[in-house]
Amino acid sequence: MMGLLEWILDLLLSPWLFVPLIYPGLISAFAVLLFIIWFERKLAAKVQLRYGPLYVLKRLGGAIQLVADLLRYLFAEPIVPDQADRLAFIFGPILLFASSYIAAIAIPISYDFYAFRSEISLLVVLGLNTLAPAFNLVIGWGSNNKFGLIGGLREGFLITADEIPMFVSALAMAVLYGTMDLVRMVELQSEWLWGIALNPLAAVTFFVLMLLSTSRFPFEIVEAESEIVMGPFTEYSGILYGLTMGASYVKLYVLSLLFAILFLGGWEPLPPLEFPGSWLILPGAVLFLKALVIMCLSVFMRAVYPRYRIDQALRLAWHYLFPASILSVFLSLLVLSGWSI
Amino acid sequence: MTDRRWSSPVFRLKGHLDAILTGAKYLITPRATVRYPEEVIELPEGYRGFIEYKKDICISCGLCATVCPANAMKMYVERAAEPGEEAPAEEVKPKRYPGINYTRCIFCGFCVDVCPTGALEHVETHDVAYEDFNSMIYPPGEFAAGPPKPEFDTPPRRLRPTMDERRGIAYEPAD
Repeated sequence: MMGLLEWILDLLLSPWLFVPLIYPGLISAFAVLLFIIWFERKLAAKVQLRYGPLYVLKRLGGAIQLVADLLRYLFAEPIVPDQADRLAFIFGPILLFASSYIAAIAIPISYDFYAFRSEISLLVVLGLNTLAPAFNLVIGWGSNNKFGLIGGLREGFLITADEIPMFVSALAMAVLYGTMDLVRMVELQSEWLWGIALNPLAAVTFFVLMLLSTSRFPFEIVEAESEIVMGPFTEYSGILYGLTMGASYVKLYVLSLLFAILFLGGWEPLPPLEFPGSWLILPGAVLFLKALVIMCLSVFMRAVYPRYRIDQALRLAWHYLFPASILSVFLSLLVLSGWSI
Repeated sequence: MTDRRWSSPVFRLKGHLDAILTGAKYLITPRATVRYPEEVIELPEGYRGFIEYKKDICISCGLCATVCPANAMKMYVERAAEPGEEAPAEEVKPKRYPGINYTRCIFCGFCVDVCPTGALEHVETHDVAYEDFNSMIYPPGEFAAGPPKPEFDTPPRRLRPTMDERRGIAYEPAD
């Protein structure tokens, strides 16, 4: 019996299962989802001098509001419209959610704990992240609704506008560190400085593009409730809608982890603590906290900004962020040449 | 004509920073919410809430029903005794008394103002939930029994609204 228990524990703690399934993969993604949506509502409420969700577990300020919402979504009937493309309509949200979190598998959580280490793990994360918006298009087309179609097309415009500068500003960091291996990047940052100090331009550009690609405010253009109902997700109800809503937050979570590794020194500096399991828990916790701060900053924007029009967002992306990302590559080269002298 | 300065990216960047700082400022400003069932605002004098009716000084003039702009007030015919019964003529004579329909009442207070004997008066009650529309109609007998009282599980904290120079309206404990 004990042997079986140990075997299961060993299996769960093996990186190739722990990373995709527990942290930073599925389970922690769900936990973050439950926290960050509540926190977003709470933060927006506080800025508007309100309380926000309060009465579900009042002692903690309504902290499990999202659990209640999730239960409601689970018990609501997911209605499939007659005229919709059934296959695309049902599998769209599932694949959207899956492809939003799948990029987490390539994210290392310490020097020796990762699902796989690759020379190009930065590209793997960014590439897998680019998958998700395609399913927004599929959903928008498949639900056979004019708002869905408009939302899907908006997403199409925004994919090209945000992914290219995002790749370029990540490339700037790859040029700076001379590698695309995320583990090596953290190693180098602990020897030099944090990436945000070395190349602040790339950090700011990446952050704004993160908001743009996960449709946070001020770029909540795909859903745009007051204009096109809910964009691609107009026809959805029940748990299928829950999945579409959670997908962008999960994507934000993965990108925040990437941001923490690229610019904020990943799991360095580690607090000098020793306890059983600290080799696994400490680096993961530090990385998680950094990502959480980034996420909180991103959801804070909801309280501050109104929504950009699609043309304003595209202009911002192509006229300012794209040149800024190219400039950040040159800044990296400048820093590198300064370093070698 | 928009401000020409907005064409400068530096000016716009400053605008973004200002916006975020403003948000941060409001993040640490105290909340303005009154958590109603637990906290109750102390009402000012002359507040127009539910209406109290004193049947013994009512002279049955019907002015309240006439003036009511929402047709909420209505005069009901009542007899103390049915005709043919052994009773003084005074009691057999039909008299009219007002009843109120709170589904229609807009709490304008005209009936209170117009009442020549002061038989109608406002009370502070304004927060009562009804299960159906029928129970919101009060014929003279029930109207005279007094306005409904809201019930709280725990006695609420009372707050007094004050004007704050910087924040606008603010609340302080009343007692």
